[in-house]
Amino acid sequence: MSKDVSRRKALGRMATAAGMGGAALYLVKKAQGQIVWQIDSAKCLNSRLGEVGVKACDLCLKECVVTRSAVRAVNHCSGCGRCNICPAYFNVTSAVNREGLPSEKLCPRDAIARKPIGAIDPGDPANNFYEYIIDETKCDGCGKCAMACKEPAGLGSIVLKVRHDLCVNCNKCAISTSCPKDAFFQGPIPRAVLEQQEQSPA
Amino acid sequence: MKYHQLGVVHGDGSIIGIGPKDHLHVAGKSRVKVFDAGGTPQRSWEISRPASAIAVAEDGSVWVGQAAQVEIFDSAGKRKGTWRDVVHGDVTAIGFFQDSVLVADVKDRAIRHYDRDFKFRNVIGKDNLTKGFLVPNGSLDFSVDAAGTLHAANPGKHRVERYSLDGKLLGHVGRFDGQDPAGFTGCCNPTNLALGPHGWIYVTEKAGPRAKVLDRDGKLVAVIADGLFDPACKNMDIALDSRGRVYVADTEKLDVFVFEEAA
Repeated sequence: MSKDVSRRKALGRMATAAGMGGAALYLVKKAQGQIVWQIDSAKCLNSRLGEVGVKACDLCLKECVVTRSAVRAVNHCSGCGRCNICPAYFNVTSAVNREGLPSEKLCPRDAIARKPIGAIDPGDPANNFYEYIIDETKCDGCGKCAMACKEPAGLGSIVLKVRHDLCVNCNKCAISTSCPKDAFFQGPIPRAVLEQQEQSPA
Repeated sequence: MKYHQLGVVHGDGSIIGIGPKDHLHVAGKSRVKVFDAGGTPQRSWEISRPASAIAVAEDGSVWVGQAAQVEIFDSAGKRKGTWRDVVHGDVTAIGFFQDSVLVADVKDRAIRHYDRDFKFRNVIGKDNLTKGFLVPNGSLDFSVDAAGTLHAANPGKHRVERYSLDGKLLGHVGRFDGQDPAGFTGCCNPTNLALGPHGWIYVTEKAGPRAKVLDRDGKLVAVIADGLFDPACKNMDIALDSRGRVYVADTEKLDVFVFEEAA
């Protein structure tokens, strides 16, 4: 009996020590800027599947303490359909212009550029792929393009991401407290971002 | 012209085809279910992979397109064989004309033309700048009319294109328009099509899912249904029976809506 109790106590102390160690390590990493605010695309209203026909959520823009927000729209080009008429670039419900394209762009800051891939067929511009490049110096993370790119309208290649060079890593992030889908979370800096930082010149 | 909804068939699948006696064939993840013209279940059988296309040949055999293969059954559902490695990706449409079998290869963004002995003849839809159909929606659909002209949905170009079976582009109808229902909206529509009498083209669209019918020149004849399907629907299969009834599969609810021209 006494042997069991002492074993239980020892295990309890080890668990406490491990917990405290983990918490300490977390705080150290946070202090070193390795624990950062991030967006879970599967939860974000603008990119989560199933919610269609709703207005884009712009709380990342409105709530962030950083001027023009630390959140940006990012197009994962490998998942992009490279469409002639991209619903994230064009306002697809606007009137059709002389070229047969929507007459209005969707982005209020004109932050997306549309470029043909390869030679354009002059008699038939639809006969081509186009790439869509987001200018992050213009983007403010309003989320309109991400919402428009979401399935089933698009392929969901555009999502919102926290830019860690802009984020001031508040303890109590204003976006996280207001996010209706609990998509904002703190976690270890993604490996891909770390690798990118290591590769980029100081 | 107007259409009204006749009923709904709960087929637990969204891949549809019409067989002899206007029997509706519905294929899903693991089964094919057959319903008579009144929507009463007749028979069902297992398939080895989730279905991505279905077609009933003149002899009543049922061809089920799947990932990289086509399973062939007799009309009672007995497996006659499996046509393997026919394409690299999903077979998203199957068609027949005389001694030809055609299959849509969505991964290659093209249609492959074979004879009935599965000997390859030619490829259709790759002779262009984009080296294939523009199908970011993940499905390539076509239908062959009684004269042997293939009609293919090219959603990225907002068109229905016509080809001879030797692969020559004969022309196209359709245009983009996000306001006028006569046009195709969004990034990539129409996604699916079926052919009817008078050369009419029956199509479905996504992102504002709807079904409509165009005449042979691409002029809108009627919007068959709009606002009825689940908003998340995409690549809704469409089929016609001998009485002109239109069948549209809701890919989210896995129901098949049946429409008829209003008197």
